[in-house]
Amino acid sequence: MSIAASVLDAVRAETALRPGARAVRAGLRIGELSGVEPDSLRFCLEALVAGSDLEPLAFELELRPWKRRCLDCRAEFRVVDFNPNCPVCGSASTEAAGGDEMEFSYLEVEEP
Amino acid sequence: MRIPLERKVLNENDRIAAGLRERFQARGVFCLNLISSPGSGKTSLLERTLEGFDKSRKVAVLTGDIQTDNDARRLARFGFPVRQITTGGACHLDASMVERALTDIADDYQILFLENVGNLVCPTSYDLGEDARAVVLSVTEGEDKPLKYPATFHHADLMVLNKIDLLPYVPFQMELARENARRVQPEIEIVDVSCTTGEGLGRWRAWLEAQL
Repeated sequence: MSIAASVLDAVRAETALRPGARAVRAGLRIGELSGVEPDSLRFCLEALVAGSDLEPLAFELELRPWKRRCLDCRAEFRVVDFNPNCPVCGSASTEAAGGDEMEFSYLEVEEP
Repeated sequence: MRIPLERKVLNENDRIAAGLRERFQARGVFCLNLISSPGSGKTSLLERTLEGFDKSRKVAVLTGDIQTDNDARRLARFGFPVRQITTGGACHLDASMVERALTDIADDYQILFLENVGNLVCPTSYDLGEDARAVVLSVTEGEDKPLKYPATFHHADLMVLNKIDLLPYVPFQMELARENARRVQPEIEIVDVSCTTGEGLGRWRAWLEAQL
């Protein structure tokens, strides 16, 4: 819920930079490893927007996969079934390469 | 009109956390964020840790709970500065809570423990300016906790397997728990401890001293 509140604070701050504008849609990128359950976040966002000054703001949640990079063959791959090893060359020497995202991608506004 | 917006959702928290980290680094402070589900033994681990420290050590603890100052009272017995952060409903600590609580503590600590609110989900997303994160997992929980809460274990530097004195009474498979943790975080370090018998606490202390 506090993450949803941070999203709305940011939307209000961005909208305030454009006098008269009204936010209609916010795009968010949520990684598999962000610690945020997209359905729960959507539920909280919608609950906070309902009846507020931001209504009818809508959200687009883009889910970002958990990724690692192979340190031997440099392949970037999606982690499937918690397997951290490289599916291309089989190496166990890999590093984190994504899935942490909890960020805005865009804000759509209507201006007078 | 679509405005591209490249910023993190929690960038206000991240900004405060970055300030704290800078402050800690300038003073050579080691700050550890302790995360676990409720009842895994974070407070017990801190009790045993504080008990083992020489009184001349500069150690401070901030302990977070939704309600009560029970943990702060348990930890204050050892003579080091301890402050309770009562979040009043929030299920995690955030950087501003830590910043506020620190204004109340003399600025000479060299080790700072942040005992997060008992929760394996929400604390993960909030940077507190720490140098390292430790997750405590007790053997009365499931070995699959790292797979159920991958984000938390993925961001941890250390996993403390606690309550190993209970292994004869529970079906917990240590090796499976270690394997699961390494699947979500291949670089994670692991120490096995019992805060009741003291077994393994030497390894935990050695890990801690190696971070300083």
